[in-house]
Amino acid sequence: MSLGDEERGRLRERFQDYARTRDRAIRDELIEAHLRLAEHLARRFVNRGVPIDDLVQVASLGLLKAVERFEPERGLEFSTFATPTIVGELKRHFRDKGWSVRVPRRVQEMHVEVNALVGELTQQLGRSPTINELAARARTSEEEVLEAMEAAQAYRSTSIDAPAVAAEDERGIANQLGDEDVNLLDSENRLLVSELLTGLPKRERLMLQLRFYEGMTQSQIADRLGISQMHVSRLLAKSLAMLRERLEGSDHP
Amino acid sequence: MHDHQVRLSVPALPQFARLARLTVAGLANRLEFTYDEVEDLRIAVGEACSLLIEAQAETTASSGAGGRIDVTFTLTGDELVIEVSGEAGTVLREQGEGLSDLILDAVVDDVQVDRAEGRVRLRKRRSPETA
Repeated sequence: MSLGDEERGRLRERFQDYARTRDRAIRDELIEAHLRLAEHLARRFVNRGVPIDDLVQVASLGLLKAVERFEPERGLEFSTFATPTIVGELKRHFRDKGWSVRVPRRVQEMHVEVNALVGELTQQLGRSPTINELAARARTSEEEVLEAMEAAQAYRSTSIDAPAVAAEDERGIANQLGDEDVNLLDSENRLLVSELLTGLPKRERLMLQLRFYEGMTQSQIADRLGISQMHVSRLLAKSLAMLRERLEGSDHP
Repeated sequence: MHDHQVRLSVPALPQFARLARLTVAGLANRLEFTYDEVEDLRIAVGEACSLLIEAQAETTASSGAGGRIDVTFTLTGDELVIEVSGEAGTVLREQGEGLSDLILDAVVDDVQVDRAEGRVRLRKRRSPETA
């Protein structure tokens, strides 16, 4: 992975260019030039149940951060500077994901697939699918599907009551839910909302209560209930849609 | 229609709640519950087990003995009844926030919490839509 002297000198200049101009094209070029470092570091984390492609993605994100933060005038080699940043990013990925070393890759992949299929089949059937239907679509056994469902929780069972640290992507989720959520908390709407809530099915009501009254994030809810964040997200979306429907219904009787 | 009963007795430790959750998922699948309903049951059983495990931890902390929790699943037609209990003398304390009650109530049809006896009884019927 070591670069030739000439190449290294050229890159040092490019780092200085980037520090001065903050030009995205230069940044991309610098990332490209160091991708092998990211790949190399990602490989240290294989056999922990996360596909290598994902690891490289995470390492590349670390690389991007390193390129952005690197100050060439300090005279440090970029690889020396970047390595702890990239490794830190990889370690954090394992921590945040909650994927543990011991969840077999097969189960993890099935977990992802089942999650996607649930959305698909729910839409097609107009109801929640049975495990048998999921297994048939995934061309696997019902047991594998059940195991995959449990994988969401597998390594959090020791901290059922400890609220998780808010994930970094919560901002993204807030965006995804839209502005209505904020309005739910306005005092004048609160009464109306709680009236509408009482009419919702219990499961949907719980999701809204946890999210907006208890102020829990989606990942906190997922951790607390031992289900995947995707399932929480799906249930919340459904709950909000029901709420909206009711709201519109009450506006135009 | 005969009742079928399955009993699980595990150490009162958080990592064994998973076993109860997997078991209820397997049994719910036998009754052809939907994905959403299976998730509901996993949540409910996990919650009930946590309650008992915590209560047990408080009870046995002084004696130092590791307790057990017993989970009994009864399958009747399109209905699943789950009873979770701890060792004799386990008492479920009233919870301040009541979040557990809120959760349990939301995901099954019927919840009975006997605090003095340290017992939680859950009942859920399969929705008719797939039958």
